[in-house]
Amino acid sequence: MSDVITMAHGAGGKQTAELINKVFKRHLTNEFFTADDASVLPRPNGPIAMTTDGFIVSPEFFPGGNIGKLSICGTVNDLSCMGARPLYMTCAFQIEEGYPLDKLEKIVAAMERTANEVGVHLVAGDTKVAGKGQVDHVFITTTGVGEILPGVRTSGALAQPGDKIIVTGDVGRHGCTILLARDEYGIDADVTTDCAPLWKPVEAALTAVPGIHVIRDATRGGVGTVLYEIARESNVGITLDYGNVPVDPAVRGVCGMLGLEPLYLACEGRLVMIAPAREADKLLETLQSQPYTEGAAIIGEVTGEMPGRVVMTTDIGAKTLLPEPGNELLPRIC
Amino acid sequence: MCVGLSAKVVSLKDGMAIVDASGAKRTVSAELLTNLNPGDYVMVHAGTAIAKITDEDKDETDDLMQQL
Amino acid sequence: MAVGHRTTEDSIEKARRILRDYDGPDVRIMEVCGTHTHEIFRQGVRRVLNPKIHMISGPGCPVCVTPVGFIDEAILLALEKGCTITTFGDLVRVPGTEKSLQIARGEGAKVKVVYTPLDAEVYAKEHPEEQVVFLSVGFETTTPSNCLAVRNAQKDGLTNFSLLTANKTMPGAYEAMKDSTDLFLYPGHVHAITGTKVCEDLVSEGVSGVCAGFTGRELLTALAVGVTKFKEGKPFFVNCYPRVVTREGSPAAQKMAEEMMQPCDAMWRGIGVIPNSGMELREEYAAFDARKKFALPPIEGRANPACRCGEVLQGKIQPHDCPCFGKVCTPEHPVGACMVSSEGACSAWYLYGELAGKPLD
Repeated sequence: MSDVITMAHGAGGKQTAELINKVFKRHLTNEFFTADDASVLPRPNGPIAMTTDGFIVSPEFFPGGNIGKLSICGTVNDLSCMGARPLYMTCAFQIEEGYPLDKLEKIVAAMERTANEVGVHLVAGDTKVAGKGQVDHVFITTTGVGEILPGVRTSGALAQPGDKIIVTGDVGRHGCTILLARDEYGIDADVTTDCAPLWKPVEAALTAVPGIHVIRDATRGGVGTVLYEIARESNVGITLDYGNVPVDPAVRGVCGMLGLEPLYLACEGRLVMIAPAREADKLLETLQSQPYTEGAAIIGEVTGEMPGRVVMTTDIGAKTLLPEPGNELLPRIC
Repeated sequence: MCVGLSAKVVSLKDGMAIVDASGAKRTVSAELLTNLNPGDYVMVHAGTAIAKITDEDKDETDDLMQQL
Repeated sequence: MAVGHRTTEDSIEKARRILRDYDGPDVRIMEVCGTHTHEIFRQGVRRVLNPKIHMISGPGCPVCVTPVGFIDEAILLALEKGCTITTFGDLVRVPGTEKSLQIARGEGAKVKVVYTPLDAEVYAKEHPEEQVVFLSVGFETTTPSNCLAVRNAQKDGLTNFSLLTANKTMPGAYEAMKDSTDLFLYPGHVHAITGTKVCEDLVSEGVSGVCAGFTGRELLTALAVGVTKFKEGKPFFVNCYPRVVTREGSPAAQKMAEEMMQPCDAMWRGIGVIPNSGMELREEYAAFDARKKFALPPIEGRANPACRCGEVLQGKIQPHDCPCFGKVCTPEHPVGACMVSSEGACSAWYLYGELAGKPLD
């Protein structure tokens, strides 16, 4: 087998079979993985949640993870936000001609590890090879199905005035990691992605506090974007205590150099949870005892004022609007 | 106009300094400053250390406010 | 942040009390630094001021005052001369007469965002096959970095690096704006370079001011000092940022700018030409001057005639008095430069919305 992906690997013949056997089957085999045209799966007990997401990231390897891990975490976390235990996933690869096989294998191995950690089964996959330059190294799309825990109902539209807002860890690390990995600005910092599969902490949180109103993962656009989405969908106001938003010092340093706001940088392992005030401390303690969410903090509350807006209390104790995120993130220097 | 960041000088070589702003490191020009030593704090703007400074804004503002 | 917030509550509280209970005559305070504008809005500073204190966001954002024609020149260099444009991120979305660099990038222009002009020079060294032009904007604070890049290019013997200059200096702007304000909030990082003599000289002309840092605490302190002194009735200057700003400034930076650049008349978007308020490379450095190197024709540029950025910059109108504001002119589709830069007054008003102008919590 050649050591790079060629067009023949995507042609459906012998080389395709070889690629599937040597890379995908080797890592992704489980009882449901099939050679047939579709997988046949047991019916879950309750209602299911289903989601899909495409992953494009440059570079595809970065401190703390790679696009394979990201592609599992993203879909697992989307399901988790609905209170759904991730059961089955599918994945589709678009690979650039000439892409090294050993790198592809590392990506697939990361998918295997992450899926095993969560206990989700990859039940079907697809591979396409695109000509040089038609895709940037590797694109992955994953789709997932999960079973919603009994009695749980979360939605971005369910935030109520008086609720407390929790973020499950420091913000902006993934975005900062990618920014540094691209090495466009000559900045070095010991920052690794927050990319993580969050089903376990979510399951623990929902077990302790089944009445959580909102769980949403902060990905593109960061926590700032998520807060605006929730304020709008629930038609409520949000008050954010800026000083309580956890930010890694190095992330703050990088943002300071480039004039960026950590609240708008992407996360890949951070959730925003909104729960009734009386349950907030219990929820916080539960999260702080779980992997990946040790750094959880209460950052604000839901109000009935200024629906659709996020108001923050600043360092000087004044109130101001958190500007609504938008536009390409560009460093502000001069 | 002038986004500046205070940072600590880690090392100096050939008119350049590696500076550290709470863990974010970058090489900047130190040519405008003399008598600079590792451990000093500088104000960095657009890749150049423009002033040697004290680290904390608190003492200074406290002093000014006390005089009012 | 949380810790700092608690331990400094006292002096912040005191500054807030002074600014809230201010009972002197109405006072107009102009900040002449886009980073001040940005921080004043981000920290909610206007919200803690007595209604007798009026903040004006003056012409201190280099992106905002860079004329339309400059963007047109950059696009011409990129699309017709095939140059690689290197720039601070701030300039990428600024509209030229027909388009921005962002749009031009979609049409094949090579536009690279850098953190510092020094990186642009290094890029040129590593890419000898490309003609690299750095968009040299900024005030006294930024000029030294631009000069250093040219000096490095000269040392490295580069023939593929040049600056498209639109550098500006502040004193002319102070002169031009002094009747629009009672009190300047001077830009700390400009005066870290120039020193504070110019501010002291303005006192003898009856122009008051305070030099301010950029944290919420520093801004509140400078404003509290400013209004307290203003109430006393005599012109004054107080340096409220002495940890960074000294009376003499940075002699090395002044010397370098002086040796490599010379004053020229400069067009300020929205204000017009201010004599001797610009900086251009001296004749000895003509080889690094993109206008001369590529024999650029004079380009006037046409701003959208409905845009009233100029009056906003002078504090004559508030952003929402402009017919474009929030309708055809938004941060996503900026018409005027005050909307395109997040340091611009219009952008700040738009982003911070209904809370921006309301005093007192």
